[in-house]
Amino acid sequence: MKLRLTLPWKHAPLDCEAVMRQLWDYLDNELTPERMEAIREHLAMCARCYPQFDFEREFLANLSRLRLEHSNPKMLRERVVAALQRSGFGEADI
Amino acid sequence: MSSSDPKTLKDRQFVDEALRCLPEVARYALSLARRESDADDLVQETFLRAYTAWPSYEVGTECRGWLFTICRNVFLRSRKHDQRQVACEDAELESLAAAALHASATQSGLGDLFTRIDLAPALERALLDLPETFRDVVTLVDIQDESYAVASEVLEVPVGTIRSRLFRGRRLLQKSLLEYARDAGLARTAGDSFDPEVTT
Repeated sequence: MKLRLTLPWKHAPLDCEAVMRQLWDYLDNELTPERMEAIREHLAMCARCYPQFDFEREFLANLSRLRLEHSNPKMLRERVVAALQRSGFGEADI
Repeated sequence: MSSSDPKTLKDRQFVDEALRCLPEVARYALSLARRESDADDLVQETFLRAYTAWPSYEVGTECRGWLFTICRNVFLRSRKHDQRQVACEDAELESLAAAALHASATQSGLGDLFTRIDLAPALERALLDLPETFRDVVTLVDIQDESYAVASEVLEVPVGTIRSRLFRGRRLLQKSLLEYARDAGLARTAGDSFDPEVTT
């Protein structure tokens, strides 16, 4: 599907393939501000690309939920410091 | 010992720059090891090695990335290396392949898979099955939320390589999840291949 827009663009509109090529860069916020804006505008108006964007965004959200937090960071720090002290560390005020 | 003593100064700098990063290193170690007891060993060994190597560290540079690199190297040495060879160079082709995969998923009634069921156990398994080359990048960027630049520094490869490995890794994970969903009877059609070829 090609976009046929008459809006006054600040920059050349992107076609779907160009958006697909950079969709993950866009989701990772790794593009220039101008390119981010161009893709955002395209996605807001393109019924073909938006479902793919949504699919990838949800996939990445699932992945980020695999991030684990330590259950007892204080104890871990104490363990690390104790091990360091056995290696000669320990004069500094910690 | 006075506070200007070289040893005291070294320890002070180590606290200020390295130990300050302990929570982030712990999170990264957990992402790699996936089990807290293993991650604790990994974190301890990382800081012991960092302390030994501290004289070679340039104070004020990117300490967190340096610690991540040590952590990853310790992790890799602690387990058998994954020797699977991978070929993947074109990040944008990977992006287009992902689009084809999405189309295939939609045709199979799995377009909403990632919001429909709890995929965490399947995703954990798929991540562990991923070749190390891809898992490294996915762990740093998608789980640790690091930028391509930081991943490039930690893994000591160019940003372009980070992109292509990341995108391939994501696509392989998606393919595993879609196959898992199909095997679980969640797809509308059975036996579809989720391995689209993309040509330009």
